[in-house]
Amino acid sequence: MVSVRVGLAAWTAAVLCATALSPALAQEDGELVIGVSQYPVNLNPLTEAHVVQSYIHGMTRRPFTAYDPEWEGRCFLCTALPSPEAGTAEIRDIPEELGGGRGWAATFTIHPDAVWGDGTPITTEDVLFTWELGRNAQSGVINFELFQDIVAIDAIDDKTFTIQWDQVSCGFDMINNFELVPAHLERALFEAEPSAYPERSLYETDPTNPGLWFGPYLLSDIELGGEITMTRNPLWWGDEPWFETIRVRPIQNTAALEANLLAGEIDMIAGEDGISIDQAIAFAEAHGDDYEVIFQPALFYEHIDLNLDNPILADVRVRRALLHAIDREMISERLFAGHQPVAHVNINPQDRVYNPDVPTYAHDPERAAALLDEAGWTLKPGSEVRTNDAGEPLALTIMTTAGNATRELVEQVLQSQWRRLGIDVAIKNEPARVLFGQTLAHRQFDSMAMFAWLSSPENIPRTTLHSTMIPTPENNWAGQNYPGYRSDEADRIIDALETTCEDPEKQELWNRLQVVYAEDLPTLPLYYRAMPYILPTWLEGLTPTGHLAPSTLYVEHWRPREGAAR
Amino acid sequence: MTVAVAPVPPLPGRPRGAIGRFVRHVPALVSLIVILALVAGAVFAPAVASLLGIDPLAEDLFNQYQPPSAAHWLGTDALGRDVLVRLLYAGRVSLLVGFAGALIASLIGTLVGIAAGYYGGRVDAVLMRITDAAIALPVLPLLIILAAVDLGKIGLPESFVRSGQAGVWRIVVIVALFGWTTAARLVRASALAVREREFVRAARALGASDLRIMATHILPNILSPLVVATTLAVGSVVLVESVLSYLGLGINPPTPSWGGMLQNAQQTVSRAPWLAIFPGIAIFATVLAFNFLGDGLQDALNPRRTRR
Amino acid sequence: MGAFLVRRLVGLVLVIAAVSFVSYALIGLMPGDPIDVMVSSNPDLTPADAERLRQRYGLDRPLLTRYLRWAGDVLAGDFGFSRTYRVPVWDILLPRLGNTMVLLGASFLLSLAIAIPAGVLVATRPGGPVDYGVNLLCFAGVSTPSFWLGLLLMYAFSVNLQWLPPNGGGSVARDGFFGWLSYQVLPVTALTVASLAVYIRHVRAAMGEALAQDFVRTARAKGASRRRVVYHHALRNAMIPVVTVIALDFGTLFSGALVVEQVFSYPGMGVTIYDAIIGNDYNLALAALLLATFAILLANLLADLAYAWLDPRVRLH
Repeated sequence: MVSVRVGLAAWTAAVLCATALSPALAQEDGELVIGVSQYPVNLNPLTEAHVVQSYIHGMTRRPFTAYDPEWEGRCFLCTALPSPEAGTAEIRDIPEELGGGRGWAATFTIHPDAVWGDGTPITTEDVLFTWELGRNAQSGVINFELFQDIVAIDAIDDKTFTIQWDQVSCGFDMINNFELVPAHLERALFEAEPSAYPERSLYETDPTNPGLWFGPYLLSDIELGGEITMTRNPLWWGDEPWFETIRVRPIQNTAALEANLLAGEIDMIAGEDGISIDQAIAFAEAHGDDYEVIFQPALFYEHIDLNLDNPILADVRVRRALLHAIDREMISERLFAGHQPVAHVNINPQDRVYNPDVPTYAHDPERAAALLDEAGWTLKPGSEVRTNDAGEPLALTIMTTAGNATRELVEQVLQSQWRRLGIDVAIKNEPARVLFGQTLAHRQFDSMAMFAWLSSPENIPRTTLHSTMIPTPENNWAGQNYPGYRSDEADRIIDALETTCEDPEKQELWNRLQVVYAEDLPTLPLYYRAMPYILPTWLEGLTPTGHLAPSTLYVEHWRPREGAAR
Repeated sequence: MTVAVAPVPPLPGRPRGAIGRFVRHVPALVSLIVILALVAGAVFAPAVASLLGIDPLAEDLFNQYQPPSAAHWLGTDALGRDVLVRLLYAGRVSLLVGFAGALIASLIGTLVGIAAGYYGGRVDAVLMRITDAAIALPVLPLLIILAAVDLGKIGLPESFVRSGQAGVWRIVVIVALFGWTTAARLVRASALAVREREFVRAARALGASDLRIMATHILPNILSPLVVATTLAVGSVVLVESVLSYLGLGINPPTPSWGGMLQNAQQTVSRAPWLAIFPGIAIFATVLAFNFLGDGLQDALNPRRTRR
Repeated sequence: MGAFLVRRLVGLVLVIAAVSFVSYALIGLMPGDPIDVMVSSNPDLTPADAERLRQRYGLDRPLLTRYLRWAGDVLAGDFGFSRTYRVPVWDILLPRLGNTMVLLGASFLLSLAIAIPAGVLVATRPGGPVDYGVNLLCFAGVSTPSFWLGLLLMYAFSVNLQWLPPNGGGSVARDGFFGWLSYQVLPVTALTVASLAVYIRHVRAAMGEALAQDFVRTARAKGASRRRVVYHHALRNAMIPVVTVIALDFGTLFSGALVVEQVFSYPGMGVTIYDAIIGNDYNLALAALLLATFAILLANLLADLAYAWLDPRVRLH
């Protein structure tokens, strides 16, 4: 008995001490703590692409170019986007020794005040080194193709350089993924042994070295798998940021992430990688007065890929019936409080190239039933599932990422709505790594798979729609055309889009592509996802973007509202 | 115990005495009633649903997140489905997984343990080393892989794979593959003890085969600890199912399980706490009941440990 | 004794070797490789990029070749780099091992500190209200899913009362010792509640048995005080089976820690293993798995030694 008391007393004492002395509950002024749901894994921008990594890089580095919150291209590290009008872009003949042909030549100028965090100026030397690193097959760089598409870089002076592309395709003026690394720190490591570069890079061995960063903030502390701390960069050349310190804290369990916010351990939850839409809606309902909840419509296209090799789904009437059978408006309204609008095609309405006149498929069970009858799938009296003349049932499966609560809810609504029309749909979910890594990549899904594509504005859907991008053993499972969609017209339009850079021809191609897509329905469009940001009411200046370029690219404008209590 | 010459010894406690002791164990008796009620609820779930006029799968998006009321005694969930009916249906899955998982695990464990204990020596050493290794084996990678196996490809009929049952049995197999070691150790220990007793030696001297001795002499004597262990295991299997659901390795929707319901409720706990409370209570009550039942059985079947 | 140790250590090495192969094979046989996952989340990656990366990380070679190569490196002391974190695996594992040992150790000691006296108390007053009360609390503890308990604690003590931080992410350097301690309280409590009940049951059962034995009755008959009988004679005997069972339970405790670590974002071994498997980080997953297996086996071995130490009648052979 005595020991019980001792044990309990010790525990209580520990709790009380810890409680009384805990400094972490009250954030110091000038500090912002951001909750995210994943750890960025590693920090070298060339060897890994990860949503939280790009979130952190938004504060500690800047890309040459990226899309802004209005979804227009703009310069960050450069001074102006190259264009023929300004005389900074033209089509040139490529010398024979570099492959011949013709391609765009685009001239960029690095911001005159740009310096690495250790004071070394950012120059064309860094550009040339990054290019050399990027096209070395051994260096483990992920966006190898970008660097390969460049046939030459001509350094005009310390700050100005011209990129010679290998063809006349559009998009010559944007080099979003040309992630600059510092030649004065990384060159020796790379040249010593190119294949060991990913592990030896200072981004891994000494990530708090200021010379690696050049954003408004420098990375000042990092716990592997834990919190990442950034402090103001005294050498930053742009607007002065308000916060002295910003911490990014990964919390995997999203219910715990919410609890951390309510407990005041974190100030906000990032929309780029935070909580799910239904959790955010529930949160807004319970705590909407104490926080600012922003639902930013995003370039996340949530859809169902249909396996067109499945004889049932090969019939376009069945595909259209499937879409007529479901009430997407109600799902959007009731499950997502209207924050995730219904999708009609794969292009987001906010995207400049969207075609507002595509064919749409309203909720219309009668029309769906008629289409199914026409396709030979009839409902015999007394049975619940439609059958064809051979007596085979209209049975399909739907797959999605197991454990994703939102998708599983939507899946169950769809299943139930299809069931009412005599379509038997079984749910067969798999963990994300299996679904994406195996089932979709090798086209092993039986009939339907629900997931999302995240893209940039004006992204040409070559890998998802072109017939050469159907994964097969012969092409080594290359491509993401998982439905197995083959359309000569779509192929032609996609090919033409690569080199048609001017309106109105460009817009006409885009319009036609969306009509073809909506008529053929290789996938069932569901809705566009929104990114939920949960912010403290005292914070201002945070502008969500809704695409791959994170909101942290404008972190220097984040500050407390005038006169707001923290 | 004076059993020197008896070919079959009496059970450690005579049945009537055991039942008497069990009935006097109030928590165990209450637990048994609770379990019977839960099982009845699960078995008659479809009847209850049709009685209340509720389709457990039909969503009603205009009735989401309704708090408990006269129309929906335990409220409705994110899709407007009745929580009470879903809870009963979920009981079918969770209890089935619990019973089947615990029984299969005990069966495997008994076979391994009895062989090890009876033969001893090298057989014992090998089997016990395997058991040790199995205990030390990391569980999670196996779970992830097993969750990814396509049952259609290993020759199971399509109709089975498509029904919700396949996922349930997958979990049962996973649980059994990792749960047998406890029973194996327990049975081995008991078998070792029994093997040297005189009635076993006598049977052996009379020329009884090994199998016969194991079945008629050793098994009855290890039955009571085994029953207790299996009862206790049912509770922990129900818990394992909830953890698997928590890690995203549970049963596919729309088949509900208590663990799955609890997991889904986590995210909306600030808006609809009852969605988390009721399945939580169901798991809690079940596990608690099986623990008390096991406790009661232990006291009843093994009077030496009785408290009076 | 020496021969016993040698035999057990050889067995331990064999089991570790077997576990390493089984784990390697299982992780390798899981569908999908890390590059596929990377491609699916990045629209800018081309098929050619994927193929080149696969070669870069050796994922295009057969499984057995990869295993033998890995095993050779490990025997030479090189556990390799984590694919995701890009640092030597021990740089990640050592701090996390430390964290998990804090979590497990604190929870283990706390459990014992409560379980032994509570178990004794219950065993010496069987059938009374205390017995039922403790029993009920115990069962309530084991019957609550630990991820759920974690969340309840978090909402009670962090969100509503705002006493304690709702995660396990503190560091001594940043938060000071007491600040760091405040981060440990909730995870340790959650883990303790789950294991405490089991320990109390073991202690109660063992004490009940020991108190019924002849020598205890004799001691009592000879006039030894009740306290002396309970704590000196019976407890020492009762601890023998308790130690064995608790050590065997170490694996369960470890699994429990995984869930608690996940709920509280506690940077420990369990979460590391889970993430590494999900993220297909072979080197990290394997090193972590082996370390965990080794720790569990070592705990079992120590239990056997403790058994011999506590019970002079047992000789190790």
